[in-house]
Amino acid sequence: MGKTVIPFGPQHPVLPEPLHLKLVMQDERIVEAIPAIGYVHRGLEKLTEIKDFTQNVHVVERICGICSFMHAMSYCKCIENIMNIQIPDRAKYLRVIWAEIHRMHSHLLWLGLLADAFGFESLFMQVWRNREKVMDIMEETAGSRIFLSANTIGGTRKDLTKEMLVKIQVILDEIESDLKQIESVFLNDYTVKHRLVGVGVLTKEDAYKLGATGAMAKASGLKTDMRTTGYEAYGELDFEPIVHTDGDSYARTVVRIKEVYQSIDLVRQCIAKLPEGEISVPVKGNPKGEAVVRVEQPRGEVLYYVRANGTKNIERLRVRTPTFANIPALLHMLPGSQLADVPILILTIDPCISCTER
Amino acid sequence: MQTKYRSIRGVCMLENTIEISKDDLLSEVQNMDYNNYRFVTATCVDNGDGTFDVYYHFDKNYEMKNLFVKVKKEEELPSISKIYFCAILVENEMKELFGLNITNIVVDYGGHLLLTDDAPDAPMAKQQIVIEERKADV
Repeated sequence: MGKTVIPFGPQHPVLPEPLHLKLVMQDERIVEAIPAIGYVHRGLEKLTEIKDFTQNVHVVERICGICSFMHAMSYCKCIENIMNIQIPDRAKYLRVIWAEIHRMHSHLLWLGLLADAFGFESLFMQVWRNREKVMDIMEETAGSRIFLSANTIGGTRKDLTKEMLVKIQVILDEIESDLKQIESVFLNDYTVKHRLVGVGVLTKEDAYKLGATGAMAKASGLKTDMRTTGYEAYGELDFEPIVHTDGDSYARTVVRIKEVYQSIDLVRQCIAKLPEGEISVPVKGNPKGEAVVRVEQPRGEVLYYVRANGTKNIERLRVRTPTFANIPALLHMLPGSQLADVPILILTIDPCISCTER
Repeated sequence: MQTKYRSIRGVCMLENTIEISKDDLLSEVQNMDYNNYRFVTATCVDNGDGTFDVYYHFDKNYEMKNLFVKVKKEEELPSISKIYFCAILVENEMKELFGLNITNIVVDYGGHLLLTDDAPDAPMAKQQIVIEERKADV
């Protein structure tokens, strides 16, 4: 039987961003998959070398529109580590609140895209209707729906008033209530399960060996979550990584749904424990040295490396995003799958190509 | 494996970093694999003097270990993708964006992972910009 090469993407209804896969097929079954990226490469790492190190907070935020807050937080943490800056406790909690709100927005966005991918239009709209409430929180608290620009080196630039905190809790209750109804469709509907259960199984050993991270790793049974290292205020919060053992697309969906509930809980914990005080400390001088920071983004672990030489410009910024780490796992999952399952498989790694290419 | 701190120009640098030669790279990476470390990523830094610093970041139980290799421009650096397949993307990226001469990558894109044919060579490397004198078309 001869082999056929089918190009998948870069433009495809299921892909929010351009990703190209060369699929080597035998009948309807995939034999090999070769990725081609580079459609949205912007050279942002290089740009950070010519910008002032304080301006870079806004540059890295634009690496990704979905986890922008955590990019800025990771960069700030790198510079703070190099300059040995202790940020105020209130700023630590504020960062966690916004980070978890971003996680909710990311996961709800993904759930909507997944529903759209398997043709469940009304479910897609219900999920995104719920996501709008998260966006409203971001707009109300930071003045922007996507790029919050709330981080600064030394803490945060914005604070949350008592009225805002009350309103956040009211909206979180609504989100949680709506999600319970949506969740039952994702987890119990026959057609949804038919598209997800047993599709794209990644074993625990493969997930580890292939460097998978985030929901990809957790759904395969790896208890890994950088938040448990206790950065910012996470060390003072009560939570456990969400883990599933099946390793298929359904397990990855379960992990992300549970992580939305976990984020709601973490925001509530932060609001209950939020200390009074300053939100930032003044920063003097220029950074000199190098640091690595790892943060748990919605898609998994992000690594930030910064080398600074004592001038206002940093020498090198390196960002390894979670999707970059999950692509080898995707390449491992695709061979043996049916062509019809490719969109679902690509989506279940929650690909962010803007992050991957920077 | 012994842990030691490296310093560049008198500044204390990354913790848990071991400086190795490029000839020892594969054996050290094999050792990491044997000890069940997860490959996180690699980082390349252009020193601007014809040398590159390359870090290989590994993780086990949230503890990070780094292998540090210094290579000269044009010098061959063996690929670790036969040991850790997940290194293919970052190795192709370093080869393309910095011009590192990484050899035997399992899937070698030949400089076309991110860049097109008409893109400048090694755009992330520190380069001397030369502005050519304009000449009138005759």
